[in-house]
Amino acid sequence: MTMQTEERQGFDTALIAGVIFIVATLSVVPMFRLVLEIVLPQGGLSSAPLRAALSSSATWTATWHSLQVGIGGTLLAVALGTSVALLVSLTDVRGRSAFVLLYVVPLLIAPQVTALAWLQLFGPASPVLKLLGMAPPLGSKNPLYSTTGIILLLGVQYGPLVFLIVRAGLRKLPRELVEAGLSGGAGRWTVLRTVILPLMTPSIIGATALAFVSCVGNFGIPAFLGIPANYLVLPTLIYQRLAGGGPAVLSEVAVLSMLIGIIAMAGILAQDYISRRRDYRIASTSLPSAPFELGRWRPFVEALMWLLIVVVLVLPVVGLFLTSLVSAYGVPLNRKTVTLANYGFVMFDHAAASRAFLNSFSLSIAAALFAVIIAVPLAYMITWRQRWWTSGLNLLAELPYALPGVVLAIASLLLFLKPLPIVGLHIYNTIWIILYAYLARFLVLALRPTISGLHQIDRSLEEAAQVAGARLTYRMRTIVFPLVAPATLAGGVLIFMTAFSELTVSALLWASGSETIGVVIFSFEQGGDSNYAAAISVLTVAITFFLMLLTNLFAQHLPTGVLPWRD
Amino acid sequence: MNRLLRMSFGAPILLAASLAFGSAQAETLTLYTSQPDADAAKTVEAFRKVNPEVEVQVFRSGTSDIMSKLAAEFSAGAPQADVLLIADAVSMESLKKQGKLKVYEKANVEGFSPDSYDPQKTYFGSKLITTGIAYNSGATAKPEHWSDLTKAEYKGMIVMPSPLYSGAAAYMLSGFAAKPDLGWDYFEKLKSNEVVSVRGNGAVLKSVASGEKPYGILVDFMALNAKAKGSPVEFVFPSEGVPAVTEPVAIMSSAKNLPAAEKFVDFILSDDGQKLALSQGYLPAKPSIGRPSWLPEGVKVKIMPIETQEVLEKTDADKAKFSQMFGG
Repeated sequence: MTMQTEERQGFDTALIAGVIFIVATLSVVPMFRLVLEIVLPQGGLSSAPLRAALSSSATWTATWHSLQVGIGGTLLAVALGTSVALLVSLTDVRGRSAFVLLYVVPLLIAPQVTALAWLQLFGPASPVLKLLGMAPPLGSKNPLYSTTGIILLLGVQYGPLVFLIVRAGLRKLPRELVEAGLSGGAGRWTVLRTVILPLMTPSIIGATALAFVSCVGNFGIPAFLGIPANYLVLPTLIYQRLAGGGPAVLSEVAVLSMLIGIIAMAGILAQDYISRRRDYRIASTSLPSAPFELGRWRPFVEALMWLLIVVVLVLPVVGLFLTSLVSAYGVPLNRKTVTLANYGFVMFDHAAASRAFLNSFSLSIAAALFAVIIAVPLAYMITWRQRWWTSGLNLLAELPYALPGVVLAIASLLLFLKPLPIVGLHIYNTIWIILYAYLARFLVLALRPTISGLHQIDRSLEEAAQVAGARLTYRMRTIVFPLVAPATLAGGVLIFMTAFSELTVSALLWASGSETIGVVIFSFEQGGDSNYAAAISVLTVAITFFLMLLTNLFAQHLPTGVLPWRD
Repeated sequence: MNRLLRMSFGAPILLAASLAFGSAQAETLTLYTSQPDADAAKTVEAFRKVNPEVEVQVFRSGTSDIMSKLAAEFSAGAPQADVLLIADAVSMESLKKQGKLKVYEKANVEGFSPDSYDPQKTYFGSKLITTGIAYNSGATAKPEHWSDLTKAEYKGMIVMPSPLYSGAAAYMLSGFAAKPDLGWDYFEKLKSNEVVSVRGNGAVLKSVASGEKPYGILVDFMALNAKAKGSPVEFVFPSEGVPAVTEPVAIMSSAKNLPAAEKFVDFILSDDGQKLALSQGYLPAKPSIGRPSWLPEGVKVKIMPIETQEVLEKTDADKAKFSQMFGG
């Protein structure tokens, strides 16, 4: 019996050690390698790369641009997301779930697809404007190729992110305080200003920090709108340096990636500082308060909200779709020029594009499955087996996702440029380096819902099994996983959707043969083949939307808040 | 649930195995090329039809961009490319001078004009690509001469490929700068006419076709292929002459896969390879193959005489000067 117990404990320890090992490999190792490159570039004590990077005026221009679009995009996202969240949560508008479903879509569409879609709306070649006979005269610039254009699109892309966080905060708004205010004779605006918004400060600050990190780390939007106008931000500067200079400039771009990491971290730390300065604890969670009646304003507000959907979702997607149907760029769409040839070309004729579909599909399935498998024991340790170090483990798993994607990409490049010592594994320039980066980056998207799922489940079943002598692996398989599976699998679906048209990481890591869909869209657009880029983008948007609706069918089995697009 | 679990554990292993199999295939040839994405893909596909055992890795970018990538690789001591198919002979000459190109004595140059390839047989021109003026068919003015682009009515309406990205553009820059009737004065005038330089000929085509900038300096085949597909683009060969590049193919002296690299050169120079170029809308270097439909028999295009060696000496300085003037 004792021998059996020891063996059992051995198994358990091995499982725990294995999970810790994986998290460390995906988080600590690459970050350590990056820091090492900055301290000891190319293994020697030299400050040349550091000085080269920091003395270049391009670095500081790009840093300034990053801050510009980061702050501008964040402000717009917070303004949009917060007002939509207040309207949806506090008032009696109708058609709420359909609205939420559609409003969240831009967040799930890859940024480069958003950028491409919006580009098709403006400028003299716009098929939409040509159909309406409103195309601007030849020689007019597409207004989106500008700072304002980038800020606008970042706001549209990350408004839903702010919306989701603030909405979650509003669900916990104590009814008592609102009612006390109202019965004390305060008007609705006064209650909003003096009760609701102050209580929502932590959510809004948290959302602001997250939006800021997403905006400064974004690659797709400034790549499509900024590079043609020679307006570089740090991620696009890193991309151009690396594309032109290859591995020789790695030490220098490592410094640049650290710079963007520091800016992102500053955002997170500022959030931490501000939310600690005051106490925002809420005494009780109660029933949601009665919605404010909009009265005769209701149709007006509803019309405004649906107009928002038309502007941020319907019009760009229609523009994208029309461009994908036109036989050649700049041709007005009519019965003669409409064609499916672009779809045929990207699906069957262009070897790299069809390979990219297979690559992205395999990569995102593999990343999702891996994350689902690791997330369960990891979340189990973080929630049900808390020790002093388990919250640190959670933080480590969050790190590769919290930092901008370029940081992780550069760290992976440094790690795998040369064959790994001892094992001799060489994955540079193969699909495996992208897989590694995806595993590291997206694990947390399955971990978060699993943790919140486990928090909502009673532990007694698992404890009973433990008392009865079931091994940890066995309990994991027969009890913990089945209980929490819906939440974890929903996280897996989210990973699939995010990884499927990912660009930031793969733009720096791809090689011929390991193209991803994001990379193919990007190179078509850069080579001037917008019709092909639009055709692939339409396909990815269709797949994303289809998956959203499909998972909605299983929604009743899921804990609340797991599917972001479900109200 | 149990079955689902087993499936979810099994799938990644299967997937991993299939991926490993895919990447571990026989011999790989690394090609650096400046051909447009879709053309490069077709070239590789046609090459593999003849040589199915060779796996081809492609890196595609502008010629000038490829040259800086190669320079970086040389300094790191690890050149990756086996074979090059890039825009112009000048870039090839520069590599040849540094001893980076391999002599391929047995290359079959029968039927090619002797000035299309290097007499020492390190690089071989595969087509003839000229640079002229493209304009949107909705545009009001019809340019005919290079000097037209400096006129006031074109102000702010012109786009050109950056010589820092495109090899054909770099060739044109140095060629024009050395001509007494054009010279740097011409580029000063373009600058004051608010000409914008963009990353590559593809970007120029897009700008012209969309009408964002209705006039552009562009390579012939891109404009004329787009026109054939119905894009609102017209193209003129200015009567004073057009600069022409030859899109040569060459083997790197550091090639890891020499046999496959030789097969690639053989293919590009073969009748099949030349016919492929023709079908892609290029003017093949081998005259007996024929002419693209946009250049009917009898139509003469005046090629501007440009001294390769002269360009070679000045190209770096010219690019730097251009970059200062146009910022990219």
